[in-house]
Amino acid sequence: MTTVKKIPGELPVSFRYTPGVGNTAFFEALRDRGILLGSRCEACGVTYLPARVFCERCLAELEAAVECGPAGTLESWTVGRVGIDGEPLDEPAALGLVRFDGADTVLVHRLLGDADWSIGMRVEAVLRPDRSASILDLEGVRPA
Amino acid sequence: VGERVAVIGAGMTRFVRRAQETGKELSAIAARSALENAGITLDDVDAVCLTSAPDAFDGVHRKGDYLADGAGAFGKPYMRTYVGGGSGVFTAIQGWYTVASGMADVVLCVAEEKMSSCQPHPQGAFLTIFDNVIERPLGPNLLWIFALEMRRYMHAYGLSKRDIAAVAVKNKRNAADHPAALLGQADITIEDVLASEVLADPVQRLDVSPISDGAVAVVMVSEEAAKRLTDRPVWVQGVGWNLDTAYWTNRDLVYPEYVERAARMAYDMAGVTEPRKQIHVAEPYDPFDYKELHHLEGLQLFDKGKAPEAAAAGVTARDGDLPVCPSGGLLGVGNPIAAAGLMKIAELFWQLRGEAGARQVPGTPERGVAQAWGDLMQVGTVVVMGGEGGPAVTATREGTPPVGPVATSLDDTAFRAAAGAVEERLDLQYAWDPGEAMGAFLEGMRDGRVLATVCEQCGRTLVPPRKFCERCFRPTDTWTDVEAVGTVQTFSICHMRWDMVRLDPPELPAVIRLDGASEGGFLHKLGEVDPAAVTIDMAVEAVWKPLEDRAGSILDIAYFRPRDPALRNGAGA
Repeated sequence: MTTVKKIPGELPVSFRYTPGVGNTAFFEALRDRGILLGSRCEACGVTYLPARVFCERCLAELEAAVECGPAGTLESWTVGRVGIDGEPLDEPAALGLVRFDGADTVLVHRLLGDADWSIGMRVEAVLRPDRSASILDLEGVRPA
Repeated sequence: VGERVAVIGAGMTRFVRRAQETGKELSAIAARSALENAGITLDDVDAVCLTSAPDAFDGVHRKGDYLADGAGAFGKPYMRTYVGGGSGVFTAIQGWYTVASGMADVVLCVAEEKMSSCQPHPQGAFLTIFDNVIERPLGPNLLWIFALEMRRYMHAYGLSKRDIAAVAVKNKRNAADHPAALLGQADITIEDVLASEVLADPVQRLDVSPISDGAVAVVMVSEEAAKRLTDRPVWVQGVGWNLDTAYWTNRDLVYPEYVERAARMAYDMAGVTEPRKQIHVAEPYDPFDYKELHHLEGLQLFDKGKAPEAAAAGVTARDGDLPVCPSGGLLGVGNPIAAAGLMKIAELFWQLRGEAGARQVPGTPERGVAQAWGDLMQVGTVVVMGGEGGPAVTATREGTPPVGPVATSLDDTAFRAAAGAVEERLDLQYAWDPGEAMGAFLEGMRDGRVLATVCEQCGRTLVPPRKFCERCFRPTDTWTDVEAVGTVQTFSICHMRWDMVRLDPPELPAVIRLDGASEGGFLHKLGEVDPAAVTIDMAVEAVWKPLEDRAGSILDIAYFRPRDPALRNGAGA
């Protein structure tokens, strides 16, 4: 007798994420003006990038009005050599935490090229010429 | 029990079908407006309690920490609780015990839901509440549960759809006075409800609350903080929560025991001995119109089966003897699941302070009860709240009830076109282990047998079989065979697939009680019968697939058909 050992199944849904009010301002500025737009809470002395509509420290309403970057500082980095399926990547993929000038928060993004990455290194944003309001409109950063 | 706890502020977003705001942004709007309403700032808050229903609505599989910043939890003790649809009222219970225990003086409770993210329909996320092994293979639809329960309730008390539809009319009319409402409609009639599209008979479109996005927040404080911060506290007088059986088809579908138990717990704590005299305003959970009636009976506010005639007589109208859902409820204000529950707490707060504006119930309500319901439709959560008494505030304060500046509603086109929007599928496949008892049951199916286990202590014969008796909490004793014949407990004529694509012909889900099983029943479909010929208590028998097609699955029973050949129509399921 074959024993019933498992029942296959799935969660048959996909998700549509709208970027919200804060990120819409960020994405539109990135797409249309090629800039990195943040927002500042004067009371808390924190500039958030990407822009947010509320301060996480005091819940004050914020405006997306602070231009950050395009240069910044590499706060940490890693080189991925294995994909999410556990298989080796064709090309290693470098990722970094970048604190763009003017921002107090860091952004995770791609490190472009084959540089000798180091913490504290100065980097700069590389934008795509054709942009669609996506975080990938920012291709990544390269050494400044 | 512990410290006295007061509610001193509440706020909410508008409830909308598709919000441009993220869940974080919705939470921040609600949290900020509750803090403003309480006259405090985030610095005054000692701890934050959050709730949000299934992660799969927002598509964020860590909603607790994801929503933390919008809920004002930065740098504070914080926890998300979750009991499905019961969550919104439960988060007020969480807030109560966080304060009553002495752990915090000022707590911000936030409830958020953003159901619009879930594509093609949030019912896809609800599929996970069905048993993966014996229910999911049948292709269930959330509406099945409600249709099956509603029909059983109507059958038990001889109710008509007209009796039920009156609740939808009352609540959508009440919601016309709520500035945050999604479906308020001052001129809706019973005929409108009865003429709306049949989804899963007896459930029609306007019997159901809408899919919604939104957030609500309340501020709960200790007695000492209340003295410092407000001259009109509303006290949490009692809380209760309770679970019924985890097998929903084994539940009493006519009467919500779980609500009665939760209500008795809350009433005992509040010193409420005669709820019909001592409760002046009620906000029971109303995701479907019949559920308001069901829950009013569970809350001991009406005798069993008597809520509908009281509703018809106007007792539950906003100006009736017991105003019920003066907010407009889930049916009118909207149903962003967890947020909708906390909206009921907010409504009691405003009603008991005399600040509900156009929705204010007459007189001076001294005490109210809010209730929600959820998990696999078997949890009851209840909160009793009371004001200080004293004169009602007849002059409505400007901006009350406070509704946050915006939840920006997008139509479907704008939602699809939103700049920066991302659509992703969680590409996961699951392999569920049936476990020992259910594995044996499924093997039995392959042999055309229905296997059950017996608990000798309580004497029950359990279908589906379990390795342990959940009542006696001991291993079951023996295996037995049950004949695959039984009676229809309740059924639906369902015209909708889970993604709300119409089915033609409709299908006939039913809860079937097998003759040899002790209680309740299990879920399957009916076949070889015209929908109009199906009746509750009809005797049915299993039709097995040919031996070579059986796979050790609940679907080895193709369907159940009438035992009386005269009732069969010769077609399949």
